[in-house]
Amino acid sequence: MSGGHGHSDGATVKERADLAMNNEFLRKAVKFTTERLKGGKLKATDEHGNWEEWRERGRQIRLHTIAHLDYYLNRFVDNARANGVHVHFADTAEEAVHISLSIAERKQAKTVVKSKSMVTEELHLNHALESIGVDPIETDLGEYIIQLAGETPSHIIIPAIHKNRYQIADLLSEDAGEKLEPDTQVLAGYVRRKLRTKFLEADIGMTGCNFAIAETGSMVLFENEGNARMVTTVPKTQITLMGMERIIPSWADLEVMATLLPRSATGQKLTVYMSGITGPRRAEDADGPDEMHIIIVDNGRSLQLGDPEFQELLNCIRCGACLNACPVYRHIGGHAYGGTYSGPIGAVLTPSLQKNVAEWDDIANASSLCGACYEACPVKIPLHDMLIYLRRRKVEQGHGDKIEAAGMKGFATVMSKSSRFKTVLKIGKLGQKLVARKGEIRIKVGPLKGWNSYRVTPTLPKKSFRDGWGTLEAEIRNGLQEMAPEMKNRMEQIVKDRAKGGGHGYGHG
Amino acid sequence: MDTAKTHQQWLIEMEAESRSKQTRFINGISTKLRRPMVTEPPRHPYRGAPDFWNAYEWNEQERIERFTSNFRIVGGHVERFTTMDDVTRFIAEKAKELSVKYVIRQNQPELDALNLEGELPEAQVSVWNSDPGQYWKARSAEADFGVVMADYAAAYTGSITVLSSKDKGRSVSLLPTVLMAIIPVERLKTRLGEIMVHFDEGGRESLPAGIHFISGPSRSADIENDLTIGVHGPGVVYALIVG
Amino acid sequence: MKVSLFITCLSDAIYPRVGEAMVRLLARYGVKVEFPNVQTCCGQPAFNSGYWKEARTTAKTIIEAFEDCDFVISPSGSCTGMIHHYPKLFEEDSVMHEKALKLQSKSYEFTQFLVQVLGVTDVGATFPHKVTYHPSCHGSRLLGVKDEPLALMNKVKGLEFVPLPFAEDCCGFGGTFAVKMSDISGAMVTEKTDHVKETEAEVLVGLDMACLMNIAGNLRYRNEPVRVMHLAELLYEGVKQA
Repeated sequence: MSGGHGHSDGATVKERADLAMNNEFLRKAVKFTTERLKGGKLKATDEHGNWEEWRERGRQIRLHTIAHLDYYLNRFVDNARANGVHVHFADTAEEAVHISLSIAERKQAKTVVKSKSMVTEELHLNHALESIGVDPIETDLGEYIIQLAGETPSHIIIPAIHKNRYQIADLLSEDAGEKLEPDTQVLAGYVRRKLRTKFLEADIGMTGCNFAIAETGSMVLFENEGNARMVTTVPKTQITLMGMERIIPSWADLEVMATLLPRSATGQKLTVYMSGITGPRRAEDADGPDEMHIIIVDNGRSLQLGDPEFQELLNCIRCGACLNACPVYRHIGGHAYGGTYSGPIGAVLTPSLQKNVAEWDDIANASSLCGACYEACPVKIPLHDMLIYLRRRKVEQGHGDKIEAAGMKGFATVMSKSSRFKTVLKIGKLGQKLVARKGEIRIKVGPLKGWNSYRVTPTLPKKSFRDGWGTLEAEIRNGLQEMAPEMKNRMEQIVKDRAKGGGHGYGHG
Repeated sequence: MDTAKTHQQWLIEMEAESRSKQTRFINGISTKLRRPMVTEPPRHPYRGAPDFWNAYEWNEQERIERFTSNFRIVGGHVERFTTMDDVTRFIAEKAKELSVKYVIRQNQPELDALNLEGELPEAQVSVWNSDPGQYWKARSAEADFGVVMADYAAAYTGSITVLSSKDKGRSVSLLPTVLMAIIPVERLKTRLGEIMVHFDEGGRESLPAGIHFISGPSRSADIENDLTIGVHGPGVVYALIVG
Repeated sequence: MKVSLFITCLSDAIYPRVGEAMVRLLARYGVKVEFPNVQTCCGQPAFNSGYWKEARTTAKTIIEAFEDCDFVISPSGSCTGMIHHYPKLFEEDSVMHEKALKLQSKSYEFTQFLVQVLGVTDVGATFPHKVTYHPSCHGSRLLGVKDEPLALMNKVKGLEFVPLPFAEDCCGFGGTFAVKMSDISGAMVTEKTDHVKETEAEVLVGLDMACLMNIAGNLRYRNEPVRVMHLAELLYEGVKQA
């Protein structure tokens, strides 16, 4: 059911984006919700105050943990085992699926109730469960809707962001076998009733993991609906799929993550439920799973370890703030990215997890490098820089576009000498006579086709700045003012400070 | 599947496999990080919240006010009482108002003292895990009211914290239609960190299987980002602050 | 104190009036701006597309052009921002790396120089028009130029400032992005000019001619009579009027 890429069938990001942009509803729905989430985030972070200090703290905790991931992961595993958890390791998606299916078979499971987990999407686990006759039931409201539609989530936090209530009412009516009104309360009420029985019948509860606490072996889930609590309270067996980088050292560190994650994701002070699960039920407890498995998944994550340009990707806490901030995501929606993860984080993570250079280019190009993702990121991952690194690696490995490569070579030749640049401007001024009308260029051919489909191009003026410099210089030299002494002092002080190692910053440094 | 193998045997085999895999898996990480495996606790200079935050504290009155406004803004209800007798009266009134038939409560002395069994003659009041023969999850699922004592609460986020045990079911705060959580005022802290510190200090062995922070009624914004209350968890939540 | 102008290839070729406004405005404070004419382009088109070898060739002209001055000023936050990438670009060449760091520490976007270095916010301009402002992403978000242009506009007599809705949203330029992903870029710039229209401003100002060329091109395409100018142009025109 969740094997495909939703309903955007183009081969490239550009083709899928074009399809998405012709879908007026999708654009409006995604725009409406991302703007609302973005606004909520800004309000929540403003209200909380000192946001930059919190971001920096979050970043440092993540940097520290990843830099010592071997230590903390070992510690987590030892503690989880001491709590009675069966821990498994999976290098690949196939291995993680194999372990999950083995447990399901051992348990002779008929149904698995699932709470939202991006890792299981990454593994296409639902499809695998179905293949051995196990019915996987997504229980997050948005995920349930997407599963009925046979699609994949198009947003990390709001999986059904691309659907409206009428489409959802149709899907749920078919599921219910009766007409349901397109009213949010009615629709959610139906799903509540329907899933109640599913929770009580299910053999296995399956979850993802927001954070895993090394010092106590606890796993932490953030959610609003209560379905993750259901999944970890009611069924007899719990399976948790966890990316190997989900670790934080302590509960004290969880306070920082709990401060950053909900505010960045939905603008909430805290999600309605934050649950720390430390092992299966104790012998004397009357609820909670009898048996608990945690599968620690690599699936390409270790490719970023030790890579100075990409290691920070492992700091991601999957809040979705970069999607909500991204002007490109807003226009094309999640399915256009063609992977499990969409938006800016998906554009970097998808190729990074797959090591597939040839596929990198298209996704990495779907960004204007505006840096809104970096600004929104609660742990300050420089995604806009990473996109450039991806593009560079592709070029260096010889997978660049031939025409573009030739163009860039020409660009460098021209720009390596100002005299050549001057010559090219001269040729340009002659050439534009063919296409310019009243100081404007409007033709839609060649390289100007895409640009001029939305814009009018200005022509080159008679004189470039360098052409006019001689005259301008002579004019300003005449009657140049004496600089005010305090201004002169300021400038001298700045130069002095600079020598001491001062200077001024840029982005993340 | 080898059905002859007992499940226990299978788990033991998986465990052995996992342990040998662990060495390779973690070694792989150390190799990628280009250094020998770290086995001693590394210095963690950025542990927990920034210092300015750890010094942040509200007085009791402010904690009550902030908790109340935070909890109400997300759709929860807050009532303020002087004594536990007031709590009993309130729950009894609400039960009558809503024609409550089933109540489930945690098995705690504070809740014994409420005497809900006597005060709610119309309802059947069950006490969590008081009879090992019962299917307690179903008793919770059918309940109109779930009544719990909060172990802690945090004013800054408007959160109630409940810890599981033999006598404190996770289901009681999750499956009933309405949740009534009683918060003795001295358990109401300013920050989440004041609660989490107990888990770090107590360490692994002190932790229950389930620690739940509850910050209002269950909700979802998955349909057109339109807020829906009561999706899977209780749609009505009362925080009853006492003392 | 030697102050050199890094004109940027776009302003050099298409918008010389921006450089002229900067130079004339600064002359009023006794700043005699130099123009090292061996400079070409910052190399950003190649750098952002992943062609770092080509970007290095181009970046060298900039590093060499400004080796002997105390301050480098530029009418673009984005091209100034590119200079901040030079140390990374020359990571493996210690000599060039050192030079890149030096250049980085003395490079300023125009309003940064005016406000932070010269300490000027009131240039004595008058500009009795309704004006809105688009903060370009690289300048505001990455270089951190946020308050300077607002402080400068705040002191212009007669200027009625109208905030641009969703001002911080990218205009969709993004260099080769506008060509490679032309439809997404087109949708973004159309959204931007919708917001400009909402303000009913007569003038749109900014600090980056690439973004302004993009927005102005779309406004013209849609026959919207909004005047688009660099803030340096506005200030200089305002000073002449005063």
